[in-house]
Amino acid sequence: MRKFTKISRAGPAPMKNKTIVYTLHLLCFIVAGLTIVGCQQKQEQAGQEQGITITDDLGRELHLAKQPERVFGFTSAMTEMLFAIVDTANIIARTPDCDYPAAVYTKPVVSNYPVDLEQVLALKPDLIFTSEGMTPLDDAARLEELGIPVYYQKYRTVEDVLKGIEDIGRIMGREQVANHLADSLRKEVKQLEANYKNHQNKLQVLTITWTDPIYVYGKNTLLTDKLRILGAENAVKETFDQPYPALTREYILKLNPDVLMGGTKEKLEQTFFSQYPELRKIKAYQTNRIYAPTGNLIERPGPRIVESIRELEGFLYP
Amino acid sequence: MMRSLYFILALLLIAIVIVLGLQVGSFESDLSTIAEAFLNYNPDNTTHYAIVHLRLPRLLLALVVGASLAFCGYLMQAMVNNGLADPYLLGTASGASLGAVLVFFGFVEITVGSFYMPPVLAMAGAFIVTLVVVVLGYRKRQLIPAQLLLAGIAISSLCTAMVGLLTFLSDSEGKLKSVIFWSMGSFERASWTLLPYPAVALIVALFLFAFLQKQLNILMLGSERAQALGVQVSHTRWAILVTVSIVTGFAVATSGPIGFVGLIVPHVTRGLLGTTGRSNLLFCAFVGGLFMLLCDLLSRIIYPPTGLPIGIITSFFGVPFFVYLLSRKNYKFSS
Repeated sequence: MRKFTKISRAGPAPMKNKTIVYTLHLLCFIVAGLTIVGCQQKQEQAGQEQGITITDDLGRELHLAKQPERVFGFTSAMTEMLFAIVDTANIIARTPDCDYPAAVYTKPVVSNYPVDLEQVLALKPDLIFTSEGMTPLDDAARLEELGIPVYYQKYRTVEDVLKGIEDIGRIMGREQVANHLADSLRKEVKQLEANYKNHQNKLQVLTITWTDPIYVYGKNTLLTDKLRILGAENAVKETFDQPYPALTREYILKLNPDVLMGGTKEKLEQTFFSQYPELRKIKAYQTNRIYAPTGNLIERPGPRIVESIRELEGFLYP
Repeated sequence: MMRSLYFILALLLIAIVIVLGLQVGSFESDLSTIAEAFLNYNPDNTTHYAIVHLRLPRLLLALVVGASLAFCGYLMQAMVNNGLADPYLLGTASGASLGAVLVFFGFVEITVGSFYMPPVLAMAGAFIVTLVVVVLGYRKRQLIPAQLLLAGIAISSLCTAMVGLLTFLSDSEGKLKSVIFWSMGSFERASWTLLPYPAVALIVALFLFAFLQKQLNILMLGSERAQALGVQVSHTRWAILVTVSIVTGFAVATSGPIGFVGLIVPHVTRGLLGTTGRSNLLFCAFVGGLFMLLCDLLSRIIYPPTGLPIGIITSFFGVPFFVYLLSRKNYKFSS
């Protein structure tokens, strides 16, 4: 009885062991699989946490979780750049000054000066584009504290603007569109440069931005390079602390520019020369070489930069 | 004797600073160029033109405005019998600023006919605000200095708040620059057509008060004592009010609200000549003019070509001197 019992007990043992072993193997596979998948997911998450690091023109490092999709410009020029390069669906806002292209009017307006932080937060942008001097750095720092990076571009020359176009293309994953645009603009600039390369009499051009006090485009502005391309010169040779310095009447008399830009002669007669009759002595007034450049062309470093140069060409060489 | 010496010294220094000032500018010019510009003026020579039509009016405007503010400061301190009074106590500066700012922000055309409107509106603002302050400071057919002071402070604050509101709501960086430039004071607008307004106002006022110097000195003893000594306090105060409104109004309208001159120069005058001098007012005007000329010259040397805003310079150079003056043991506001 006892033996039988023993035998009867020992009979089924190998079968049970096999089942247990198989089950254990299967469990091991499942655990190992899950571990591998888990590790991969963790690595991916870690990768996403690392994201992308980009450096702007001011040398500021920005960390983005992913390639930006929801963006807007904090300047009118930047908005023009974005509309020329980025899919319009990715542009989520505009500033009150943005008026070009017409499609900007379909976008909600965001206050850029003073910055409406709540409004910006509500828009949930991945990245905001701006340019040096147009957005205070402490505003950018405040936005970055709130998790919204601000990317600055800086322009000293026309080439800088074209590189800026390519730069936005790279950041937004639209290299092909941006490079094509920049190359075609570069070609036109080179052609214009070639036309005026051997120009002997370099016209001295003074461009005023405000009349009381008299503010002008200084040497370290984009206009100086535009004029160089056209074989002319900015009458302001001195480099001031500000890009748009205030000048005295005596200083302008000494500059004695050949060309004055800032408004039509009729308008400047009312707002400028009536205030400063002494300046009627300058060559530009004497020879009637006073012109009114289109504000949103001359002021904006954007994709219409060649259009702006061509407008200046029309003034300088009528 | 000492008094005459101070006068001669002040006039000599004014002449020296004017000659130095004529040499500072964008065009190279030494003493011989300046002499040639006046003795053998050639309108086609831009250096001559700059010296005669830009530098000289600027220097003269600085002289007149400095003299006007110091003179009015002296009058105000005598009227309210308080060494902290200045020409802007009546709200003249804040009224002028509000007037000018209304033009800068487009509420009034920048030019009407041949008139450049900011100084015109500044003048109007100065007068209207001063009038309101005077009306508020007037009670029972009498001018109450303490009430005038409080009214001046209140109305000035209101005007400043309105300027602040307009500035905040501004839609243009250029407009903001205009306001900032205006609020800090400048002689860059000086011209032969602008100069006569503040100059005539000052000369007339100086003549008028040449005969009232004695009454002013007595008034500084306090209104009751002045009354007892036969001074017609009410009439004198009205004369001061009207004069200060007009002279300060023109000074601010042409150059913006320049601070500190009207406050410190009267103290300098009393520190040098005492409190009972018969020619204190005239000397105060000379010292004010000299101080402003020096400040303008320094501003243009330190920060060419535009010069630093004149209000910054007057404070920087005025405050240390003022502190030194107050620390002198023998200094008194009135005898």
